[in-house]
Amino acid sequence: MSSREDILQSIRRNTRVRYEKPDYAPLEEEATRYPDLEARFKEIMTQVGGQAVTLKKGDDINQVIKSLYPEARRIASTVDEVTTSDGKKLAITCATFHPDDVETPGELDGTDLAIIDGRIGVGENGAVWIQQDVEQRAIYFISEALVILLDRRNLVSNMHEAYKRIDTGEYGYGVFISGPSKTADIEQALVMGAHGARSVTVILV
Amino acid sequence: MSTKHSKAAEEFQANKGLAAWHDETLWMVRAKRDKMSKQLPEWEHLRDMACAIKMYSNSHLDQLLTEFEKNAQANGAHVYWAKDATEYCSIVYNILKGHNVKHFIKSKSMLAEECGLNEFLEEKGVEVVESDLGERILQLMHKKPSHIVMPAIHIKKEEIGELFVREMNTEPGNNDQTYLTHAARKNLRHKFIEAEAAMTGANFAVASTGECVVCTNEGNADMGTSQPKLQITAFGMEKIVPDRDSLGVFTRLLARSGTGQPITTYTSHYRKPRPGGELHIIIVDNGRSRILAEQDHIKTLNCLRCGACMNTCPVYRRSGGYSYTYFIPGPIGINLGMLKAPLHYYDNVSACSLCHSCQNVCPAKVDLADQIYRWRQKLDSLGVASSAKKTMSGGMKFLMERPELFNFALKNAPIVNAMPRWMLYNSLNDWGKEHEMPRFAKESFNDMWKKNKVK
Repeated sequence: MSSREDILQSIRRNTRVRYEKPDYAPLEEEATRYPDLEARFKEIMTQVGGQAVTLKKGDDINQVIKSLYPEARRIASTVDEVTTSDGKKLAITCATFHPDDVETPGELDGTDLAIIDGRIGVGENGAVWIQQDVEQRAIYFISEALVILLDRRNLVSNMHEAYKRIDTGEYGYGVFISGPSKTADIEQALVMGAHGARSVTVILV
Repeated sequence: MSTKHSKAAEEFQANKGLAAWHDETLWMVRAKRDKMSKQLPEWEHLRDMACAIKMYSNSHLDQLLTEFEKNAQANGAHVYWAKDATEYCSIVYNILKGHNVKHFIKSKSMLAEECGLNEFLEEKGVEVVESDLGERILQLMHKKPSHIVMPAIHIKKEEIGELFVREMNTEPGNNDQTYLTHAARKNLRHKFIEAEAAMTGANFAVASTGECVVCTNEGNADMGTSQPKLQITAFGMEKIVPDRDSLGVFTRLLARSGTGQPITTYTSHYRKPRPGGELHIIIVDNGRSRILAEQDHIKTLNCLRCGACMNTCPVYRRSGGYSYTYFIPGPIGINLGMLKAPLHYYDNVSACSLCHSCQNVCPAKVDLADQIYRWRQKLDSLGVASSAKKTMSGGMKFLMERPELFNFALKNAPIVNAMPRWMLYNSLNDWGKEHEMPRFAKESFNDMWKKNKVK
C-alpha cells in the first residue's frame, strides 16, 4: 500500500470527533476598521520601517521617485504607466530596464531600485499585495529598494477584507510585503535589509 | 529530584549575565505581543476563531489534504506523502539527485529540524545552506536552535563577530549588528544565486487553492525560490487550512503573537511552479495522525509555531532552549516531546510551574499547561515518577489522613524557624535552593479561626 493510502487510513482510523467549520462572518464584521484609512496606512508604514507618500495632483511621479531615491542608477520597473485615482495616466519613464530583459534572475543582483505595482494595501499592518506580473519575480526581493505604486482606493482596513480581494493570477504567485526586509537575529537588534529590500516606499496615487 | 532539565538549567544560570539578558529580552518580546493584542478589540474572538478553524481542519484532514492534493496537482505541482522522517528525507534527496543538485538553499523549517534533513543530505554529499540569518549562524557554529522563531537568541554578538571574521572575512572586532547582518546578506546573495534548488517549509497549506503560504521577515524564502527553478516545499499535515478566508484570521495572529509585529514582512503564496520550473510539495505525517486519537492532547495540532508560549514562560526564559531534551523547547516542546516518546522526553514535564501563562497567550488556544498537568498525572503509570516526590506524597497522604498528627505537626512547625541555617539550606532540601524558605507563622489559620480571630 502506498504511503498516501497508509496516511489517509491512519487519519480516518484515529479521527474521533469531527468538529464543524466555524462561521467567519461575525468576526469579519467585528474586525477593526479605520475611519481615515490613508492616514492609518501612512502611520503603520512608518511603524514597519517603511514609508507611504501621497502623490498630489500635478506631481510628476518620476520626479517624486527620483527625489526619494536620488542615488539609484540601475532602476527596474514592472509598470509602464499608472492611472491616478482621478483617472489621469502617468508614464513611468525613470526606469532603466524591465526585469524580464535579463537571461537569469541572478543578473538582477545589483538593482538599486524596483518600481512595482501594488494591488491592495492593508491599514492594520502596512502589507501590500503584490500579484506576480513579470516572469522574474526575484525583482521584488533582490532590489536594494522598492517603490510600490498603489491606488489609494485599494486600501482596506484588515486582512479579512484583503483576502477577499486578492488573486495569484496566471503566474500563480503573490506576496504581501509589509515594509523593508528585516531581522533581529543578532541579539534582538532590529536591522533593515536582511535579504530583501532595505527600503520600501509606497506611493499612493 | 533533579531532572535533566533542572541540571541543564543550572548550567544556563551559571552565566548570570547571559541568563538575565535572555529573560529580559524574551519578556520584552512578550510585552510587544501584549501591546499588539490590546490594539485589537476583537483579539479574543480571533483566538477563538483560530482554535475553531484548527479543530475543524485537524478533524477533517483526510478531506482537506486530498482537496489540497487535487488542487496542487491541477496547479502543476508534484505532491508526495511521507509517513515518517526517513521517507521525507529520502523524497527530498531523490528530487535533488534526479536534478543533479549540488547547491541547495533552505529557509527555516521546524519540520526539517524534526526529521534531521540537513544531516541526512550532508551525509549523501549535498551542500545545504540555511538562509535565515539565525539558522545560518547556528549552522556555521554547528549548533542547534534554542528557540523556534529566534533560533540564535542564546548567542552573543561577540561570538557571531568572531565567527564572521573566519567565515565571511569581516573586520575583526567589529561586532555591530547592522554590520554583521549586512555582511551575511552579501555572503548569502552568492549562495542564493548559485543554488540549483531551494526549499521552504510552510506556515499554512490552503486546501481550496492548493497553495503553500510562507511567512518570513528576512525575505529569504523568496530570495531562494525566485532564483533556482526547482522548488521543494514540505509541511507537517496539521498546517492545512480550509481556505484563504481562514488566512485572514491566522495572519492577524501569527506575528502579533510571536514577535509583536502587526504581520511578518513577507507573506508569500506559492501556487504554481515558476515558468519552466518545478514545484514539489511533500505532505508529512511523522506521528501526527497518531495524535488525532489522543483526545487529551489533540490541541497540540493547533500550534502555529509562533513561539509565544516560550517568550512568556518563566521557566523557559530562565533556563534557555538547550535545557529541554526535545528539539522544540518551552511549553509546546514539552508536550510535543511527550507525544513523540514519553519515556525519552519525560524530564521536560517538570519544566513548568503551571502558571498557565502559555495557555493564555497561545493564539490557537492550545491547552499547553493543562496538558502538562495531565502528563504529570501519567508519570507514575509510565514508571518514571520521581521516587523522592513519591515518598513525599506518600508522607503527606499519611499526615493528611491523621488529623491529630497533622495538628501536632502544625503546632510545632515554628520550631523550624529557630533551626540553624545549615539544617534548612542543604542538598537535601531542593526548596531552599536559590530562594529563601518562608517562615512558619506562630499561630495556624486553624487556631486563629477557632479563636474567632478571622473576620
